[in-house]
Parts: sequence; C-alpha cells; structure tokens
Amino acid sequence: MRRAEKYLRSTIAGPVLVFIAVVLIVAAITPGRFLAARNLSNLSLQVSIVAIVAIGGTLVILTGGIDLSPGAIVALVCVVLAELVKNMGVPLSLGIPLVLVLGLFLGLVNGLLSTYGKIPSFIVTLATMNIYRGAAFLITKALTIFSVSPHLESIFYGKFLGIPLPFYYVVVSYGVAAVFLRNTILGRSLYAVGGNQSAANLSGIPVNRTRLMAFVLAGFAASVAGVLETAWLNSGSANYGQELALGSIGAAVIGGASLTGGVGNVFATLFGALIVAIAQNALNLHAVQAAWQDITLGLVLIGAVGLDMWRGNLGSLASRVFRGFSPGDR
Amino acid sequence: MASEESSLWAVQGISKSFPGVLALDDVSFGIQSGEVHALLGENGSGKSTLAKCLAGVYSPDRGQILHRGKPVTFHSPTASRAQGIATIYQEFSLVPTLSIAENIFLGNFKTRKGSRMIDWPAMRERTREVLARLSLNLDPEAIVNSLSVAGQQLVEIAKAFSMDSTLLIMDEPTASLGLAETKHLMDLIRRLTEQKKAVIYISHRLDEVFEIADRVTILKDGRRVTTSPLATLQMGDVVRMMIGFNVERHYPKESHVRDVPCLEIENVHSANGVHDVSFTIRTGEVFGLGGMLGSGRTEIARVIYGLDSITQGKIRLNGREVRFRSPREAIASGIGLIPENRKFDGSFFNFEGPKNITVSRLKGILRGPWLSLSTERAVGRKYIKTMNISPSAMDRTVQFLSGGNQQKVIIARWLFSNARLLIMDEPTQGVDIGAKLEVYRVINELTASGISILLISSDFPELLAMSDRVAVVRDGHVLQVTESKRLSEYELLGAASGVRREGESES
Repeated sequence: MRRAEKYLRSTIAGPVLVFIAVVLIVAAITPGRFLAARNLSNLSLQVSIVAIVAIGGTLVILTGGIDLSPGAIVALVCVVLAELVKNMGVPLSLGIPLVLVLGLFLGLVNGLLSTYGKIPSFIVTLATMNIYRGAAFLITKALTIFSVSPHLESIFYGKFLGIPLPFYYVVVSYGVAAVFLRNTILGRSLYAVGGNQSAANLSGIPVNRTRLMAFVLAGFAASVAGVLETAWLNSGSANYGQELALGSIGAAVIGGASLTGGVGNVFATLFGALIVAIAQNALNLHAVQAAWQDITLGLVLIGAVGLDMWRGNLGSLASRVFRGFSPGDR
Repeated sequence: MASEESSLWAVQGISKSFPGVLALDDVSFGIQSGEVHALLGENGSGKSTLAKCLAGVYSPDRGQILHRGKPVTFHSPTASRAQGIATIYQEFSLVPTLSIAENIFLGNFKTRKGSRMIDWPAMRERTREVLARLSLNLDPEAIVNSLSVAGQQLVEIAKAFSMDSTLLIMDEPTASLGLAETKHLMDLIRRLTEQKKAVIYISHRLDEVFEIADRVTILKDGRRVTTSPLATLQMGDVVRMMIGFNVERHYPKESHVRDVPCLEIENVHSANGVHDVSFTIRTGEVFGLGGMLGSGRTEIARVIYGLDSITQGKIRLNGREVRFRSPREAIASGIGLIPENRKFDGSFFNFEGPKNITVSRLKGILRGPWLSLSTERAVGRKYIKTMNISPSAMDRTVQFLSGGNQQKVIIARWLFSNARLLIMDEPTQGVDIGAKLEVYRVINELTASGISILLISSDFPELLAMSDRVAVVRDGHVLQVTESKRLSEYELLGAASGVRREGESES
C-alpha cells in the first residue's frame, strides 16, 4: 500500500498515466490500424531518434539550462557523415566515431559559452542552432546526399531476435542514462546544480564543470541520433531534425522535468517521447497534413505542461468531486 | 473584555485551525491608537497566523476583528489594506527593479485627470512628502535594488504610511538590520505613533521590544498567555511565559577549547573588503565574529572559505599554509559553511534529507565506482537519529521541514563531510527558541569532539554566551579579540558601532 502510494507520488506516475490514456484514445480512433504489428514496429523506429535526443535534453534541463540545438546537431552530423562516406571515401567504421566526436565538440561549444562564457543557455543554443544548421547547408550546398552507404541501413533496419535494432539502442541508452543519473557523482551533481546552484557551489560541487558536462553529453546523444537518422534515410540533408528541439524538450517536460532544474527522471522522459511519437503517429494514420501536425504537437506540449502546472488545482477539484463516492476511504 | 470595544483595532475570540493544528485558540486583545503593541511567542505559537488574519491573508474560523468597536471582515489582503491595515513582511513585497516612487504607488498609480497616463511629477512630489514626514533622506527616483536591506525596509514602511494606514504590522523588522539601522527604525516607529498610528511589533529580540513597545501580548500554542503593559514585566518573566521554562537554560554553553591552533589568520587582506585581519582559532573553540551588518564579518568568512581571494597575508590550517581558490578546496581540507540564507545558499529543496546530507562528500557513499543509495539512506538514518531531526526528512524533500530541522540537516552535511572547522553564519536566524537550543546543544557536541567553530551572529547575547572569544569587526578590520566572559553586550555593541567607551553611561 505504501509502496503504491509512493509510486503514485513519484515523478513517473503522471507520464505513464498520460501515456496509457493517449494509447487508448489513439487505438480507439484508429481501429485496427494503430495496434497492428507493422505500425507498432514502425512506431518504435520513429520514437528511437527523438527518445535518444531527449536524454540529452533531460540532462541539460536537470541543471536548469535548456538546449535548443540538438536538431541542428543531428543535421550537421548527418551531412558530415554523408559527405565523409559518400564523397570522401572514408569507411563507415571511421566515419561514425568521427561524427560522434563532432557531437561531443558541438556540445562542448554550447557548454563553454553558457558556463564559462556566462551567456544564458537559451541564447547560446538558439544561436548555435542557427550556426550548426547553417554549417550543414554550407557543406551540402543545400542539396541532399543520397545513397550514402549500403552498409548504413542495417544499423537502423537490422533486427536481433526478431526485434528491430533501434529498440535495443533505446533500451541500452536509457539504461546507461538511468544508472548515470542515479549512481554516479556527476549524475547526482546535475540534480544538485539544478536544484540550488549557490548551495551546490558552497557544498563543493564544481558547478561550471557539471553544467558543461550536461551540454557535452547532450551533444553526444544528438550525434548518436544523427547517425541513426542518416542510417534511417540512408542520406544526409541540412533539413533533417527540424522537429527535434521541440520533441526533445517536449519529451522531457511532458515527462515532468522542471524547467527550473533539479527535478526529472529519464524514464519519465522516455514516456514523454512515446507520447509525442504516438500523437504524431496517430496524425499520420489519419493522413493529417504536416502543417496541422506541427500545430497539434505545439498544442500537446502546452496541454501537457499545463496539466502539470494545474495538477494541484485539478487534484483538489477531483478530491472534492469524488469525496461523496468513497466515504470510508482515507 | 471591555477594552476591546473601545480600542482602535481589536481581535475578539479568534480561532483558526489548519489540518491537524489549532493555530489560534480563542485569542482576544485590543490595540489603541498611538500604541506599539508587541506580539511575542515562539515560532509556531500563532503570532504569524494572527498577523495574517489581520492582514486578510487568512479568514478566522471563529471570532471577529473589530475596528472602532465595529466588526469588519476581510476576504483579501486588498480589503484589509483598504480598511487601513498595512503589513510589513519579513520578505519584502517591493519590486527591486522599480524606483521608490513606483513602489510606493504600486497598484495605485496616480494618473492625470481624465486619462490613464501616469502623472510622474505628482507621484514624485507625493513620495517626497511621505519621505519627509518620516524624516527619511531618500531619493524618490532611486531604484530599490540599489538600497541597502535596511533602506528597502524603510521604503516598505513609507509605503504602508503613504496608504494612510491606521495599523502597521511589522513582522521581524530588524532581523537583517544593524545597530544604527535598528535605531533609525525605532525612531521611525516613534514618529508613527506620534501621528496616532498603531503598530503591532513582532520580534524575537526582546531588548528591542522592551525599548519600543508599550504593551505586549504573549501567545503560546495558539492561546493568549497575557496582555500587559511592558512596564510591569521583567525580561525574564516574558521569556518564561513564552517558552515555559527557566531562562538560565537559555544558553547552555560548554567550553571545550584545547590549546592547539586550528586556523591561523595572519595579516590577511582580501579583494573584497578585508583589511589586515589576524586571529587564531583554537581546536574546539567557538570563535565569535561580532559586528554590524556590512562590517566585514561575512567577508572574513568568505576569504577563509575560498570564495574571495587573498591579496596579502597567510592562512594556516592545522599548521599547514593554505590558499583556497574555491569552496571545493576548502571543503576538501575540512572546512564547512552554514550559510546565513538557508533557502538560497544551503538547502536543496529538490532532495530528501539523506541526499542533502551526503552532497558535500558524495565520495563517502561510493561502492566501487557507483553511489550506493542504501549506504546513503543508512547515513541519513544515522544523522536523523543522532541529531534529532524530524523522521519525515528520510522520505520527504526538505522544503517541508521546519527551519530548525533544515538547519540541522545542513549541520549533518558537515559532520558527514568530516569538517574540522565550521563557519556558522547566523545559525539561529529565523528558528524558534526550541530549535535554537538544539543548535546550541549541537555546537557543544561539535566542540567536544574537537571541531572548531567560527560563529557569526547579529544576536549579540547569543554570540557572547556561545563564543569562547569574540573578535569585534568594523570596516573590515578586527578591532580587538576578547574573552567573551570579559565582554558585556554593551561593550560589544559600543565597539562594533564605533562608540567610545568614555563618557557613556550604562543603559
């Protein structure tokens, strides 16, 4: 009983409940199609990229910062990988590690500017979002590089024990992220810095280094997603990843991460990412045009955060409504 | 009581309960015009609840508020203010980025006739008048941010005064004021009462209450103990009525000084207002820094803790010369800091008790490369038990704990990090008498185990009673270091505020 209560009060309960509700609604309005094995498999592929990006978004949000640039990092990683492999003859086994390092570096730039550079992370990443995507356009001269490598697709479309590989990528990266946040000094420091930066400094936590690491790891997560995106489409374009800034922040915030920092749970973020992906999937099944999809995604984000903000009021309203029904319950 | 009907303001039979607590239980008393009425009691005795009922923040469950004998009800703070009750809260309600004039007229801007445009000249003029009537030498256009804490408080009072309030409620107005500023405030209160305003004065500091108040109402556990003219009471009586036990136990000082130097400061100058400071803290000693707000006592602590850099001089810790560039380095060498402002600099409100305790030495709960959450909980349980912290700290975030419990969690943090020197900046500010006693008890235990303490406190009786020696600080200099037994509060106040001893009479 107490365990159940504790679970309900924890940060993950909300996103899981919303997730279940969204699944039920979507299954009801798209009879037969949503729950079809083929669609579910498709969905798991779609969710994998935004889910991995959202790990980075969560780390940065935990420290009280924000990262608007992951979509642009994905785009730049895609085109650099495509350019290296397709046009410069670099083997995939070298190209992939190189672009992962590139992701670390792009995150490092974000982090250095917003910690030691003392520029608010919102502004830094708003600017680097433009810079990174601009660089991607420069490299490709605004063209898409198609058919990057025949070996690339198996990274995304391959299966192991009958389950698509991206499923394993998501499970492994979330497992690593969860252990990192729960059981490492740096992980705990992210929460401390986001919870109270001044107290963290006075308690001997290296505040700048901690915040810097959040951005570096976010850059790395985005570059992993960039490799997956390239493999998914077997191509590289500066236009890729446009929706990922919203998707990543949305997943973290729908998962209950506080934008003031210090509160958040990476598994809740995963459910946040699933909610975003399922909502998109449902719109796709109904063949809703892209413009309306964007509008809907924006509304979902506002609604989800609104629900969180109003939770206290809704709770007391609900308890007033239900009090009559369960007199002995306390 | 008949006096309530004839009073300017009165509360009659007021009760207010919150889930699980009866915060006010049938409280009645009257407030006369031109009177300073002190409201005393421990934290949790109901005085803040009573103030909030008068301010319209809470509505009482039973009883009524009378204005000139007629019942009035407030459904909001605005309604209370409109009826003439102004409250000056501990946490200021000013907008720091606006000017004094804008703040005074906030929500009530003067407009030009027949338009919605603000009449700036009229607002400045009126502000100047208000400030002049209170003999405050402030520029109406000064930005509130640029004023000292004391200055901001005066603006707050001027704002209340400008609304033609008949009753001003002041909740701990001197908590962050130095001696001169407190004196200024007392003068201001006298000027208010000369103009027939009534003042409810809530304070932990009895010396001030005895200086300024005409009558006192003492609350304990939500009930009124007495309402009496202060002239009929001794300070000891008041304390006894507030806390219910003997005054002698107020400062349970034990001395555990060992003649081994712990921290030696030699001719230290800092970039941030410390000038040629020298003193030595011995092992197990409580070394007090006495001074007014802004005297440089906090800056001395900052240099020791690695927050400000040393420009000249030497610091030795346990005989070894040290020069910390960050708190991290100071902590690694065995120094801890209990900051003045728990909420902003001390507590992690997103963490439960155990995580708040281990944060400054996370290495201590590593099992191999991983943090062990079960070890962390065991650490938490241990300190919650030995330090008598509320058991709910185990599973709830510390924002739900009382100030005293939050403070003990921070002390536990430094015990866990094996600090050998603890800097305590105002450790008992904003905690009730019971929790203060707990802090004193902890200080004794710490020094008994060989930990040295640098104590900073604006509460001079506390500073003198709990310190073995006291350094008087003024303008970033240490003026004298004296055995606290040989220093009276009067002498300390005089030295810290720059008063010459000759020709002064004991007051």
